[in-house]
Amino acid sequence: MATNVETLGSLELFKEMEYEALEDLAQIMQPLKVTEGEVLTLRGKQAQIFFIILSGNFMVSFSHDRALTLHNRGALMGLSTVITPFLYTGTVTALTDGEVLSMPGSTFWDFLQNNSALGDKILQKIKSMILERKNFFI
Amino acid sequence: MYGLEAISNHNGWAMAVVGISIVFSGLLVLSFAISQLHKFIDLWENRKAHLQNMKELLQTKVKEEKPDYNFSFSRDVEESVHLITKRMGEPFSLPRLIDISKKFGLATPHSTINELIKADLIIPDGKGYFYWNTKKTL
Amino acid sequence: MLDLLFQFLINTGYYLADYRQLIMLFFGCVFVYLGTAKKYEPLLLVPIGFGILIGNVPFFKGFGIGIYEDNSVLHYLYFGVTTGLYPSIVFLGLGAMTDFSSLLARPKLMLLGAAAQIGIFFTLLGALAAGFMPREAASIAIIGGADGPTSIFLTAKLAPELIGPIAIAAYSYMALIPIIQPPIMKLLTTRHERLIRMPEPRDVSKKELIIFPVVALLLCCFLAPTALPLLGMLFLGNLLKECSVTDRLAKTASTSLIDIATILLGVTVGASTQGDVFLTPKSVGIFCLGAFAFSIATASGIIFAKIMNFFIKEKINPLLGASGVSAVPGSAREVHLMGLKEDPTNFLLMHAMACNSSGVIGSAIGAGVLWSFMVK
Repeated sequence: MATNVETLGSLELFKEMEYEALEDLAQIMQPLKVTEGEVLTLRGKQAQIFFIILSGNFMVSFSHDRALTLHNRGALMGLSTVITPFLYTGTVTALTDGEVLSMPGSTFWDFLQNNSALGDKILQKIKSMILERKNFFI
Repeated sequence: MYGLEAISNHNGWAMAVVGISIVFSGLLVLSFAISQLHKFIDLWENRKAHLQNMKELLQTKVKEEKPDYNFSFSRDVEESVHLITKRMGEPFSLPRLIDISKKFGLATPHSTINELIKADLIIPDGKGYFYWNTKKTL
Repeated sequence: MLDLLFQFLINTGYYLADYRQLIMLFFGCVFVYLGTAKKYEPLLLVPIGFGILIGNVPFFKGFGIGIYEDNSVLHYLYFGVTTGLYPSIVFLGLGAMTDFSSLLARPKLMLLGAAAQIGIFFTLLGALAAGFMPREAASIAIIGGADGPTSIFLTAKLAPELIGPIAIAAYSYMALIPIIQPPIMKLLTTRHERLIRMPEPRDVSKKELIIFPVVALLLCCFLAPTALPLLGMLFLGNLLKECSVTDRLAKTASTSLIDIATILLGVTVGASTQGDVFLTPKSVGIFCLGAFAFSIATASGIIFAKIMNFFIKEKINPLLGASGVSAVPGSAREVHLMGLKEDPTNFLLMHAMACNSSGVIGSAIGAGVLWSFMVK
């Protein structure tokens, strides 16, 4: 089931998108309910899906037992879907029940290629998130 | 006929030079034209652009409200988790804290620890580890 | 009864099989394998591979079965290749799928698309030197544009007997871009250059996106009217997409229509590569020149970017020159991945797509120019 356009438009990542582009994106993003303790990504595995938080709280654990927590709506998880070598660098665990939007990486690539300028804006925002978490990628 | 003789005989050098020049000049002219295109459009739409700017200035920003957390767990749970963190030493690993809390019989370790984070009792050190905020109590 | 059975048996493929057909059947299977198991450009390799299988099943000539026989179904379908119909429809769909905003935001990158077309003209010289006639040499040279439909279009006009090997060479090398381009990119750039970050492009208005296809069509086709069938369709598709009032047409062009043309183009091109026509020394020469063309195109784009950096303040990442070939979106993706390897936060994809799309325009102009040189 596709997600709804208003939900997408309310996220920081997609704030500047036009309605038509949001509609296209809404078709390919799937809402997913998660329960406390559920694992969304496993460190070291192929990064094929990335997630955007709609509600709930999440922990991303990295190597050497390091972790960070994400509590805000619109935060991204599974950023390794767009970074070589496309292997998850962290394990994402839901700290509470919540909801996320999921999108397969290959579909995201197709979307970026067909929407150059918009895709560039989205990637710039992703880049700033990656820079914040840079220390954890080693 | 082969080699340079064949190229000369078939007018190859001229075709190559003229061909490259035509392709280059065509794309050069096109790139110049499109580099000026937005300026012409801006000139044409000057009045409309100013009106749009005025509208944007008058729009008020909606502030995001920070949610008020209402914690439902008892003081005993807080003390239990604090004891675990003391045993682990500081700074401690959050994933390990969750594992150990689970082993100690804490019913919902993920959401419990999330609430401690939200209450600023467990705070990140910015390097992937956490410590107990001794300055704060519930 | 035995006579009848014997008559039947001598008309079967088992009896009529030739070693060249068996070799081509093997190649067909390889293409299908590469497309399905390895996922190398499956939308191209699967129909082409299967077309090779169809075209090389032995049959008794004169029954109106083969692609070169009048009144055969395959022959009618092949009409779209020989007339340039399918490539034009593919370009219509391509235009309807292409977002030129990154190109409009940084028009300088268009020059990298132009530079990559140098590969076409170097290959022209190479093909002439190898003993090919001018029309054949021009058809081979266009492989350097890295554009399958353009290659087929020009070859259909100039040297239709070479459509099979040229199309196979063009599409094979497009599918092998992840193997061909990276070593050249690494060889011609330093680590410092690969780390160059591109500045954020400016916002492009909807009006610009709408006006661009009209302006581009007029400017390019006034210069090279012979590029009209391709560029006309490309910019029409793009206008359908951008003008927002023909969404239904744009959707059809970018989905069903281009898919139909791609299937028929692939199958018939594959079927045209019959063993006795394809397995000749000329085909080997075409394949070698094709590899040369791709390599020169990649290298010339990169070298031109490095030369440009001497004259401009805001440096261009030279890797973008490699995406000036018109293999959309394969070469853009390879450039992006190469950039990520050096710096995981250096996203070059959008800029590479700009060069890619200018490469499409450049290769179509190049094809038009070559066609006009050969018209007598």
